[in-house]
Amino acid sequence: MPRKLIIDGKEIEAEDNLTLLQACEQAGAEIPRFCYHERLSVAGNCRMCLVEWVGAPKPQASCSLQVKDIFPNKDGTPARINTDSPVVRKAREGVMEFLLINHPLDCPICDQGGECDLQDQAMGYGRAAFHRFHENKRAVEDKYMGPLIKTQMTRCIQCTRCVRFATEIAGVPDLGATGRGEDMEITTYLEKAFSSELSGNVVDLCPVGALTSKPYSYTSRPWELKHTESIDIMDAQGCNIRVDTRGRAVMRILPRLNDDINEEWLHDKGRHIWDGLGRQRLDRPYVRKNGKLVPASWSDAFAVIAARVKATTPDRMAAIVGDLAAAEEIKALKDLMTRLGVPHLDCRQDGAKIGGGPRPAYLFNTTITGVEAADALLLIGCNPRWEAPVLNARIRKAWLNGPLKIASVGAPVDLTYPAEQLGTGVDVLNALADGSHPFAEVLRNAKRPMLILGGGALARPDGAVILHHAARIARETGIIGPAGTPAEGGWIGFNVLHTAASRVAALDLGFLPAPASEESPGGRDVAGIVEGAQKGEINFIYLLGADELPLENMGRPFVVYQGSHGDTGANYADVILPGAAFTEKDGLYANFEGRVQEAQRAVFPPGEAREDWAILRALSDVLGQKLPYDTLADLRRALVADLPQYGRLGQVPVWEGADPAVWNALGTDGVFTADVPMGQAIADYYLTNPIARASKVMADCSRELLHSDENKQAAE
Amino acid sequence: MTARRLHEEQPAGFAFSEENMARVNQWIAKFPPGRQRSAVISALWIGQEQEGWVTKPMIEEVAKLLDMPYIRVLEVATFYTMFHLKPVGRHHVQVCTTTPCWLRGSDDVVKACKKHISDKPHSVSADGEFSWEEVECLGACVNAPMVLINSDPYEDLTGEKTEEILEAIRRGETPKPGSQIGRHASEPEGGPTTLTERALYDPTLRHSGPSLSDDEAKNVTPGVEQREAPTQKPPGAAT
Amino acid sequence: MASVWTYMKMVFGWWNHATYGTLLYTARKGVPVGTDSFGNRYYQTADGKRRWVLYNGTVEGSRVPAEWHLWMHHTVDTPPAADMTKKSWEQDFLPNLSGTEGAYHPKGSLVRGGVRAPATGDYESWSPNA
Repeated sequence: MPRKLIIDGKEIEAEDNLTLLQACEQAGAEIPRFCYHERLSVAGNCRMCLVEWVGAPKPQASCSLQVKDIFPNKDGTPARINTDSPVVRKAREGVMEFLLINHPLDCPICDQGGECDLQDQAMGYGRAAFHRFHENKRAVEDKYMGPLIKTQMTRCIQCTRCVRFATEIAGVPDLGATGRGEDMEITTYLEKAFSSELSGNVVDLCPVGALTSKPYSYTSRPWELKHTESIDIMDAQGCNIRVDTRGRAVMRILPRLNDDINEEWLHDKGRHIWDGLGRQRLDRPYVRKNGKLVPASWSDAFAVIAARVKATTPDRMAAIVGDLAAAEEIKALKDLMTRLGVPHLDCRQDGAKIGGGPRPAYLFNTTITGVEAADALLLIGCNPRWEAPVLNARIRKAWLNGPLKIASVGAPVDLTYPAEQLGTGVDVLNALADGSHPFAEVLRNAKRPMLILGGGALARPDGAVILHHAARIARETGIIGPAGTPAEGGWIGFNVLHTAASRVAALDLGFLPAPASEESPGGRDVAGIVEGAQKGEINFIYLLGADELPLENMGRPFVVYQGSHGDTGANYADVILPGAAFTEKDGLYANFEGRVQEAQRAVFPPGEAREDWAILRALSDVLGQKLPYDTLADLRRALVADLPQYGRLGQVPVWEGADPAVWNALGTDGVFTADVPMGQAIADYYLTNPIARASKVMADCSRELLHSDENKQAAE
Repeated sequence: MTARRLHEEQPAGFAFSEENMARVNQWIAKFPPGRQRSAVISALWIGQEQEGWVTKPMIEEVAKLLDMPYIRVLEVATFYTMFHLKPVGRHHVQVCTTTPCWLRGSDDVVKACKKHISDKPHSVSADGEFSWEEVECLGACVNAPMVLINSDPYEDLTGEKTEEILEAIRRGETPKPGSQIGRHASEPEGGPTTLTERALYDPTLRHSGPSLSDDEAKNVTPGVEQREAPTQKPPGAAT
Repeated sequence: MASVWTYMKMVFGWWNHATYGTLLYTARKGVPVGTDSFGNRYYQTADGKRRWVLYNGTVEGSRVPAEWHLWMHHTVDTPPAADMTKKSWEQDFLPNLSGTEGAYHPKGSLVRGGVRAPATGDYESWSPNA
């Protein structure tokens, strides 16, 4: 029920479930705060948000006072709140004076300087040239919180945002506040690292410079940086990011606000791989001569490729798209290969048995916000904590706020919320589909049940069978509901969780083996290409940033590697074409929901490296199959002509209702390879792609956070 | 007070004795299911009674027992000064130095502790028997100054009295807890001076007139409903 | 012709060496005072009111050593003693080296032949067979 309030003389109606602080913001008043954060629980310990409630004996902490607790005056007029009266100013100045008593005056050497809440608010409420505290300031020992978070605990003002984030959002209660009073310290348990995939967010949350980014420390000042809005491609969620650059270098990556995707969080891999953008870079073309890669010019490299293409036949050629490619270059490569008549195309390096059907069959249809409406969740071979950490935080949020029951088929991992472990055997899917398993009952009774198929299930040799059974479970248990968005009452709970940022775009573009027909036996998938290369049936492979392949046992086909980083692919390549990383080109990426977003260019590619679509366009000319677009705009027009959703950036496809034929035809019925336990799609969260593998920070994280026990044992 | 940290030297392990485990379980049972972590203070307290101080293995054991993250137990252990984070003597003396005790001469008591135990608080005496610390009010201000030795309060002390008590304990005796000048509880010296009529304590002698009439009972102390909320004046504003 | 040019230079080219005017004045009024380690000769008028130097080689103000600089500028009355010993902490006097091989070049200068200090925008390129 809305309540009337007079805030700074302006009468407004505020919902009574809001806090006074939110109501004041609705009225256009700006309330300073340190401990209050919209997405965290209310602590009310910094006292900076004091406002005056006329008639109340003392100023009120607006963050913890709810609108429903504000009663009208005796004569029935609405309560009057002042946010900028002498009382308020004086109260806030007092709070600021207390905060600054123990805060060091080291802004000039502090990484937070320039983007510090305390600095900004001290400008407004600090009493200049006024101090009456002549005792020594408090000094606090710095703490170890892992390879990503640098601590300068003397600066801490004990807002406890980081502690609340770790406990509530990340679900990894590693942080705490020990001691009390002046001796209160934020710490982990006895110098343990903060082992969350979302740990970098505490740096953003910290209103002072107590927690700063360790890799970024002392490198640049916020006002030197140019901001470019972009998209994270370290996983398939498409978190919105801001790439901060200085000159030609990416200095840091921060999340952008997008409630539909990442709220305001970003996972550690997306936030900290930027040092990988400056390592192991391919900055000139190479051609293998006498078994050795030697630098070459672009035209020489193209000539070598052209000679090889001429010497072979299209059915002995193959092309594979890697995990980080943008839609534009996938389309360019697809068009080029189609023109050359190459049937062996694939984008599923991990061998996932997905794609080929209509869009809902391979998308995360529930959408990320839709997860919050779900009340039962079945994870199949999926570890969202590693495959999409920010989505995992969303699932945790849904679990915290509602009656969400979760079960998981696959390796038991700590997901930060309790999940019923249904074992690693795939047979349980049968039981779930025919309703004999107790959790099938839970799904059937749920109003909005959902399932998530992860890479651990789809990348198995029997992935198609699992897909078939997942579709069966979906049909049997009401996971596929009426058309429309969840808000309109529609529901579709069938979800595929991809881990590669390029995957959905590649599937949309049909970068898949050519279907079998009467004239041809059809194209080979990745496994088929590898096998063919071993046998010598494939002797030309074009890799567009594909580094997750077992190239060492593929015989000796002629390999063209186009990509940004020297990784597995480059080592086995015969011709290397240096491409641009995602911060160096404008590119469209579709996330696992099918939402298309644009990553914008923040810096230029290094050396002679070029944007990937332009390389393919130039190569097509040399191969005599000139692609019909000369600019990126032309290419995008062609892309949108094929796939209209690529012209609607940021929008998620609307579930248009169930077509039984789609779900009946999904996957193939067959027998499980039951003796193989359900595995995980990702072996090491921090090292999943060439950029991450080039990053020193990610290597440190992997060593210290995931393998610290092994290291200790090795040392002993 | 300095930042409270765990002691550098920690024992290898900790386990509640069977009897203490039963007490901990009793505490856990007092809270609704799923809220067993509310028993954390009691569990640590029982652990401290058993070991004398709170050890790292104890914190971890309690955390596992109550299904809490280690850090949450550490927070509690470092927050409350009643938990000793390093070894204490067999007899731990807590000297109250809050204002009433201080006015009544707690400085002499502290001096006695320094002389008989050790120069610094929180350090164990040479024979390992004693340790002492200054604490805030222990709630016996009427009998100030006072100390708490383990769980026994000794009140109405002077420096010499304290020394005598410590000596006696060192000899293995158990001095009588409570007031050291022969007072009963916190009665005045030499017995009560007011409320001495027997009728107060003997119901048979009590006056048996009529109780308040209804009208009288409803007659509330005047002024309560007329009392106005004080109006806020900005500090510094003209009064 | 050449002799006229040489003559003109000797009269006006004070930046190359002492001009005829200076030499004439020195011959007429100059009382030699001493010679420094570079071989520059110092003169003054009989009354000591004017003091000047004839450079041995390049005419360059910074080639006057510190002790003679003091005397030249009337900071001290007596010229430095010929047998003046150096203090243990004193460094050898160096004239201005700008424009010479000994000129100062900051760290990372290409002239210094060193490696440039790392800067924003640097990247490590991949190299094959590494």
